Amino acid sequence: MASFIQLLVSGLATGAIYALIAVGFTLLWQTSQTINFAQGEFVMLPAFFVLAAMNAGAPFWMAVLIGIALSIVILGILFKIIIVDPMIKYGVLPLVISTIALSLFLKESAKDFYSSQAQPFPALVPAIDIRIFDAVVSTQSLAVLAVAIVTVVALNLLLNKTRLGRQMQATAQNATLARILGVPVRRMVLYTFLLNAVLVAVASILVSPIYLAKFTNGETLGIAAFIAAIIGGFNQVRGAVLGGVILGVLDNLSAAYISSQYRGAFPLIILIIVILLRPQGLLGRIEERSV
Amino acid sequence: MTAVLEVTNLRKAFGGIVAVDGVSFEVRAGEILGIIGPNGSGKSTLFNCVLGQLQPSGGEVKVDGRVVTGFRPSDLNRLGVSRTFQLLQVFPKLSVRENLILAGQEHQGNMLTRLLGPSDAGLSKAADQMIDFFKLGHLADEPAGGLSYGQQKLLDAAMAFMGGPRLVLLDEPAGGVNLTMLGDLKARLAEINREKRATFVVIEHNMEFVMSLCSRVVVMAEGKVLAIGTPAEIRANTAVIDAYLGH
Amino acid sequence: MMRLGGIVVAIASAAAIAAPFFLKPYGIFLISTWAVLTIAAIGLNLTLGYAGQISLAQGAFVGIGAYTVALLVPAGVPFFAAFMAAGLLSFAIGWVLGYPALRVQHHYLAFVTLAFSTLVFLVLRNEEWLTNGIYGIAGTSRPTLLGWQTGAARDFYFLCLGVLALLSLATWWMLRSPWGRAFVALRENPVRALSLGLDTRRYTLMAFAIGSSLGGLSGALYAPLVQFIEPSSFALGLSFNLLLMVIVGGSGNFFGPFVGALIAVLLPEWLRVTQGYYLIVYAAAVMVMMAFCPAGVLGLIERAGGMLRPPRKAAGAFTDGAAT
Repeated sequence: MASFIQLLVSGLATGAIYALIAVGFTLLWQTSQTINFAQGEFVMLPAFFVLAAMNAGAPFWMAVLIGIALSIVILGILFKIIIVDPMIKYGVLPLVISTIALSLFLKESAKDFYSSQAQPFPALVPAIDIRIFDAVVSTQSLAVLAVAIVTVVALNLLLNKTRLGRQMQATAQNATLARILGVPVRRMVLYTFLLNAVLVAVASILVSPIYLAKFTNGETLGIAAFIAAIIGGFNQVRGAVLGGVILGVLDNLSAAYISSQYRGAFPLIILIIVILLRPQGLLGRIEERSV
Repeated sequence: MTAVLEVTNLRKAFGGIVAVDGVSFEVRAGEILGIIGPNGSGKSTLFNCVLGQLQPSGGEVKVDGRVVTGFRPSDLNRLGVSRTFQLLQVFPKLSVRENLILAGQEHQGNMLTRLLGPSDAGLSKAADQMIDFFKLGHLADEPAGGLSYGQQKLLDAAMAFMGGPRLVLLDEPAGGVNLTMLGDLKARLAEINREKRATFVVIEHNMEFVMSLCSRVVVMAEGKVLAIGTPAEIRANTAVIDAYLGH
Repeated sequence: MMRLGGIVVAIASAAAIAAPFFLKPYGIFLISTWAVLTIAAIGLNLTLGYAGQISLAQGAFVGIGAYTVALLVPAGVPFFAAFMAAGLLSFAIGWVLGYPALRVQHHYLAFVTLAFSTLVFLVLRNEEWLTNGIYGIAGTSRPTLLGWQTGAARDFYFLCLGVLALLSLATWWMLRSPWGRAFVALRENPVRALSLGLDTRRYTLMAFAIGSSLGGLSGALYAPLVQFIEPSSFALGLSFNLLLMVIVGGSGNFFGPFVGALIAVLLPEWLRVTQGYYLIVYAAAVMVMMAFCPAGVLGLIERAGGMLRPPRKAAGAFTDGAAT
């Protein structure tokens, strides 16, 4: 039982991180038809921004801010202006290909311009183990969980309780209608990109102490984001959160009880099952096309 | 005599909005039935439900007495039901002839024969006949995207006939077509109806087109059937006049 | 125009046949690699350029084909049988994978193939009893066909070239047939195609399954070519590479894969001075290309003069204003 609680807590922590990544991914898809195959690399990169800033002498907290700022500029603004905007007129397919190329580009850049070795990344809190009811839980997991939960709650408040957030949601659900209702759609789309940049930066800072900052991080994290988004329902932000959490918990449980060699396989199998049985995901709606 | 198409109590709701509300009518063999109604009366939604583009929320559709409610468009097509589209839907990069061959090739043989058989699926002659009939001869090898709007409409109609269908549903065939072409189109449709005993259903806004072509007319308003009758009866129907003038 | 294209193809074919006589063994190895990878790229072009679906598993299918041959041939199975087995197995797996994935829109196949790719890598790496895991399998022998031994570099190259020619012709035939027309239709206007009785799902599935089987056949030649295979050769990297090959060459263009594979094989050689930066250059080039001429190298050439006119070019996988 004790180990189960441990796994649950660390699973929720991982799941919360997946949720952040998946939410950004889903939002981008909803508002601007951008299927961002480089989302995993987007999570890999900010950690390197932070490390570079620290190498230049900044204290950790400042480096984090710099990392988030760089993420907003590069992974938010530049990504939109240089890659998405010119491409969108050709349709979804070329954009997807571009983001696939982008993921390769970012991965190789991190490897060549920073390091191919895994880099240690400072944790938010010193790693102490504390006992909760017999279970040994690391403060790290709790801290990750706390930060992630705060972020998700803040995100929820932003999207549902503020005017800006509601406008973003309107844009996501029906851009044409939103435009008619006076929502500044183009600005909302930009905000979605910025929001995604913040989310991936937070996820990066949370995940890198555990996985170490490695140029290959993007592969696993990217797949996790896609699977979480699909499990939850491609067109639902709430679904992405749910999908992320479910995936994180199942992933951790499977690592403990199934051979660790096939650890990466479990989410993939879940993906295939979901697509087989309920392709619209747990919360998604079946979309119809009329002519 | 079984009706070629029988729609019973068809209903389609999008969330809270009911676009089609209990529509019933039948189409008899060999006739040309028109469906008219003001904008938003549910005509196109009705079509899309009958043709499998949308899933109806309720009701039944029968073709030749056989229930086909909710069948996919490709299945219906192979049962002999074909359609044209309101927004032009030809294949712009294929030539006119290729468009027609494409329209017919899925109606014969199976995947294997299509792979191993001749490149034109044996349909060049039929396609050429269709081209002659619709007077598109000089354009046979032109990419369809290069044709004028009216010519593309003719091609669209021609494609709907390639499979030798029992029933053709035409969605606003006259839309955007100039007067001379319109006369051609009407004449071609009337001729096919006579010679091949093909049954049509036509949605249209162009009153003159519908009234002069169709033998019976269904009038829709706000998702419901307002009246069914011959053109003369419909013209005299006060409820119909109200529905139109009211908008 | 057709004639000019025909002349170019004739010259290129002559060059392909004459090349090995002027090259050292390493050069012959390069062109053999080109021939083998072109087969895989042709398959991916079918899936992507003609049916409009993104597959990130083509590298995995090459791996499946390679391991099939590497395991069967030493067990005594004649090469030809192993070759066919590689193709059939890949076809079957492609079908099984594509069947559920293509029920949905949203490019789900991309994610499923991404997941499958990783899954295949894990299996190849972990099941040591079968695949020897990370230690790989060495020494897959080159076949002897009707007395002709293909062990030497030049002979094996001609075998690869011959298989490439045969498979290209088969693909050409398929694209000339009503199937090719159906592919154009389902890419240009799937709604209209459906209403004409075209089973878009069946055709897309066939394109993907056939494309995958070509990947498997490519792998069947890859194993005896490189003579040492191990799991990481067939991971996502290869799938990405093949994807980029198809794009750069010109997606939806019959000759695109030939050009794309040539560029991909030669690029590392040209950029050897940059020492491994070539992937960054390649990826950046693709992004630039997507922004300015998504129809690839051949698209550029076509715009310049309409030279190569393949049997049925899919309406260009990417054209202005094309919405998917």
